Amino acid sequence: MKISLFITIIVLSGALAGVSLGLVNLAIVEPYLDTAIGIENQNLFASGEEEDTPEFWANYYSYRVWQKGGQLLAGAILGTSLGTLFGIVFAYSKNSLPGKSMIKKALVLSLIMWATLYVIPFAKYPANPPTVGDPETIILRQSLYLAFMAISGLGALGFYQVYKKINKKAIAFVGYGVMMVATFFVMPPNPDPVQIDSGLLMGFRVTSMIGMSVFWGVVAIILGALWQKTTPDRTAQAKYQ
Amino acid sequence: MILYIGWIILELKYIHLNLTCMSQSKEIAISKSSVPKIAIIALAAIFVLGMFVVGFDQGHIFSVVFGEQAFDEMYIHELTHDMRHAAGFPCH
Ligand SMILES: [Zn+2]
Repeated sequence: MKISLFITIIVLSGALAGVSLGLVNLAIVEPYLDTAIGIENQNLFASGEEEDTPEFWANYYSYRVWQKGGQLLAGAILGTSLGTLFGIVFAYSKNSLPGKSMIKKALVLSLIMWATLYVIPFAKYPANPPTVGDPETIILRQSLYLAFMAISGLGALGFYQVYKKINKKAIAFVGYGVMMVATFFVMPPNPDPVQIDSGLLMGFRVTSMIGMSVFWGVVAIILGALWQKTTPDRTAQAKYQ
Repeated sequence: MILYIGWIILELKYIHLNLTCMSQSKEIAISKSSVPKIAIIALAAIFVLGMFVVGFDQGHIFSVVFGEQAFDEMYIHELTHDMRHAAGFPCH
């Protein structure tokens, strides 16, 4: 295997998919974020912490422009990060994944990782817009989310080992399902009450989910295509034979 | 800085690995489809760091340089804030 090529195509596909995620979020999630932060501003005025002055709004708008740039940068970082995990799992599992082309194999894997690392954790701890969370509970909420994601991801990995060894493949899926349902009910809920307009909440959650789903699709297509084209694993084979 | 040193160590290990491989080309032919550990370590490090930066940092990384003040400013949190919400991570 050509190590530098292997790393390059993985990082590249993650970063490109991450930038797409950032762009999609800027287009469809940002309006909801702006609305939610608008509510926060009104609360600040009502409590007297801030005053509704032109200076406040001038600062606010330039700050938001900076944060929206951050959305793109964070997209590239998060994309690269999730892309490396995707690349590692793909490298180990591509031979047992169904599909003839690398793109199809990658899409099957990304569907599994999208479900186990994003959709299932989302079902327990859905994304919330600003103003919902209590800063006092952030460490607890982060721990719960990370724990749930880790249990789901590692559980999927564990049951994949079971899946490979047994004849009745359905048992592995049922096992994972039972484990996650149990985890779902055992783990404590998000402690913060959600007291915002349900239209804003739903709009935010739906668009946020569209963004992440686009990411998992794009990262699979790019990595699958690059793998197909460059075959980082076959180069070494030819070289050393 | 720590990252940079870490990267150099990885590079050195990679060179070492290459040298060992050259002298043992037969073994390589047998294990040609295996994924090099060094690449996995490098990729896993990127994964952990990236997840922490976007999903979890509350001033921790900058506190290495700026001390306690970083936890009040939360520069990385503020910069990645919109993605943190949009990607489903807990925030405020
Ligand atoms: Zn927030």
